[in-house]
Amino acid sequence: MVLQDLGRRINAAVSDLTRSPNLDEKAFDGMIKEICAALLEADVNVKLVGTLRKSIKHIVNFKDLPPAVNKKRLIQKAVYDELVKLVDPHAEPFKPKKGKPNVIMFVGLQGAGKTTTCTKLARHYQSRGFKACLVCADTFRAGAFDQLKQNATKAKIPYFGSLTSTDPALVAAEGVTKFKKERFEIIIVDTSGRHRQEKDLFDEMTQIQSAISPDQTIMVLDATIGQQAEAQSKAFKETADYGAIIITKTDGHAAGGGAISAVAATHTPIVFIGTGEHMLDLERFSPQPFISKLLGMGDMAGLVEH
Amino acid sequence: ISGLFRNVVGGKVLTKADLQKPMRGIEEHLLNKNIAREAAVRLCEGVERELVGVKTGNFESVDAVIRKSLTASLTKILTPTVSLDLLGSIKSVASPSSLNQRPYVISIVGVNGVGKSTNLSKLAFYLLQNNFNLLIAACDTFRSGAVEQLRVHARNLKELSQRESLGKVELYEKGYGKDAANIAKDAVAYAKQMHFDVVLIDTAGRRHNDARLMSSLEKFAAFAQPDKILMVGEALVGSDSVAQARSFNEAFGRGRRLDGFIISKCDTVGDMRGTLVSMVHATGIPVLFLGVGQHYGDIRTLNVKSTVDMLMS
Ligand SMILES: Nc1nc2c(ncn2[C@@H]2O[C@H](COP(=O)(O)OP(=O)(O)OP(=O)(O)O)[C@@H](O)[C@H]2O)c(=O)[nH]1
Ligand SMILES: Nc1nc2c(ncn2[C@@H]2O[C@H](COP(=O)(O)OP(=O)(O)OP(=O)(O)O)[C@@H](O)[C@H]2O)c(=O)[nH]1
Ligand SMILES: [Mg+2]
Ligand SMILES: [Mg+2]
Repeated sequence: MVLQDLGRRINAAVSDLTRSPNLDEKAFDGMIKEICAALLEADVNVKLVGTLRKSIKHIVNFKDLPPAVNKKRLIQKAVYDELVKLVDPHAEPFKPKKGKPNVIMFVGLQGAGKTTTCTKLARHYQSRGFKACLVCADTFRAGAFDQLKQNATKAKIPYFGSLTSTDPALVAAEGVTKFKKERFEIIIVDTSGRHRQEKDLFDEMTQIQSAISPDQTIMVLDATIGQQAEAQSKAFKETADYGAIIITKTDGHAAGGGAISAVAATHTPIVFIGTGEHMLDLERFSPQPFISKLLGMGDMAGLVEH
Repeated sequence: ISGLFRNVVGGKVLTKADLQKPMRGIEEHLLNKNIAREAAVRLCEGVERELVGVKTGNFESVDAVIRKSLTASLTKILTPTVSLDLLGSIKSVASPSSLNQRPYVISIVGVNGVGKSTNLSKLAFYLLQNNFNLLIAACDTFRSGAVEQLRVHARNLKELSQRESLGKVELYEKGYGKDAANIAKDAVAYAKQMHFDVVLIDTAGRRHNDARLMSSLEKFAAFAQPDKILMVGEALVGSDSVAQARSFNEAFGRGRRLDGFIISKCDTVGDMRGTLVSMVHATGIPVLFLGVGQHYGDIRTLNVKSTVDMLMS
């Protein structure tokens, strides 16, 4: 799973150091180097890794450590805190309310997993008693509406879309209006894949957004994304101001460091992760337990209280 | 000024110590271009090995020497060692004058959502422009809408090629749920009977660590007997590209490897084209095409020099 190997490596680096008989500065630098290598292999943004390296060094300040201090605990805590900072944006994601329409718009790069995740999320809310439905505002990709339709049908979720229209903002508005009238509570709008280098595609995203005024916009990110993650997620943030991130394809081998850099760059929380191609392969996400699990240290959570 | 002069060490024999700091900078540069760390480290080791003990030229800075060496290594990695004349290969098999005339079979594989079906359609357009007759086989029988997606592409391509009197194109599909290897085999037989020049087979996306789906590729290759197995790798992907390339390269059974990569979504990464290097580094399999957009014309053959320039910039 995502980040597990990374966690194991970081963990090993920290405990190697703290267990070593002479915990000197050289060994400490070696540990930092090993942690940074692990992060870079996990696709964490190169600049971010540089910052993290400096922060840990600064916080621990090895040279001036009084001999009495518990170095092990100090170092563990510094590493833990810096990693939590990466994935914990301290922003509360939107929570849909029953008895009113909650419009959720999906955005993201091409092929990230938006259409698949739309249905997963609709089903998630449906099974929690919400009246949920889907709107296909992807009028560009071949077979996009068929894809959404087939998924929605399998999950028994009402859907709306058009095989002929070429104006996604119009289709989106039509669908949302219709479902609002029918008193749906969760209205999820799927859009085409796009990227920051094409201005027209970003303009289109803005148009759809103003046509439906979503209560929440969600950015879908593929766990395999590399060093482009930061630039793309920032550009989407500036244009669509999404309030949550879903990371897909976490059932693969990728460590997901690119997606985590996107969280750090945009201060936006991850709310769900996709864990497979099937309807039920969706899990809730929260950063703190995730990091403790990642580091394989139950006692780590305890450290934060001190 | 002093910084500049210090760096210029004309006629100096380079030691490991001289190289250490600039090499760290170079490694970071490569990582920033989205080259997987494994590949970046190996490239740097190669450069270092080549340069230790070398005497720099007059007024040549260490940086310049390193850049030159790195440019050469990148060029070497990306330059194919086999002929990539796809059109020629097709003709030699499919043209009426060839001895055992039969359709040339190309299958497209890769992980989920990287752009297999779209780049298959672009490749189809390119082959139509070269007046080949194509059968597109819809062998992704799993993902919702996969068949309809190809049907739309086949219809669009048909319209385009009729308008410009290019080759013929048809879709072969058997809906969802059936075994992909069987459909592929039937499609190839049908193409032979109907005298198509090329069969383009689309497959379902699969994670490279999904043992069950990966192992079905071996049967697929045995049934479809593809002349070329092309893997689509996505330029956005980071380190995972190395494992993706390796796993697919080893999935087709004894003696059968990938024949080439199509690196998609190059338009989404600017000059961060490191995925190319990562995938070739991992396998030695050449890059045949780059995907540079979502339209039929958005496919290019690899220009090694311009790619290396982007990676060095
Ligand atoms: N293994 C795995 N595959 C996934 C997951 N989520 C989506 N996929 C697959 O990823 C591929 C792309 O998913 P889509 O939902 O079509 O992606 P999209 O973002 O809607 O694509 P565009 O609309 O073309 O931009 C499909 O093959 C999905 O089955 C996941 O969590 N795990
Ligand atoms: N910008 C850009 N988008 C591309 C390129 N190639 C494909 N895409 C987009 O990527 C998305 C996914 O493409 P598909 O061809 O459906 O990918 P796939 O690999 O067949 O997906 P699955 O069959 O679900 O595994 C679509 O939105 C395509 O338009 C490219 O070169 N550039
Ligand atoms: Mg979609
Ligand atoms: Mg496909």
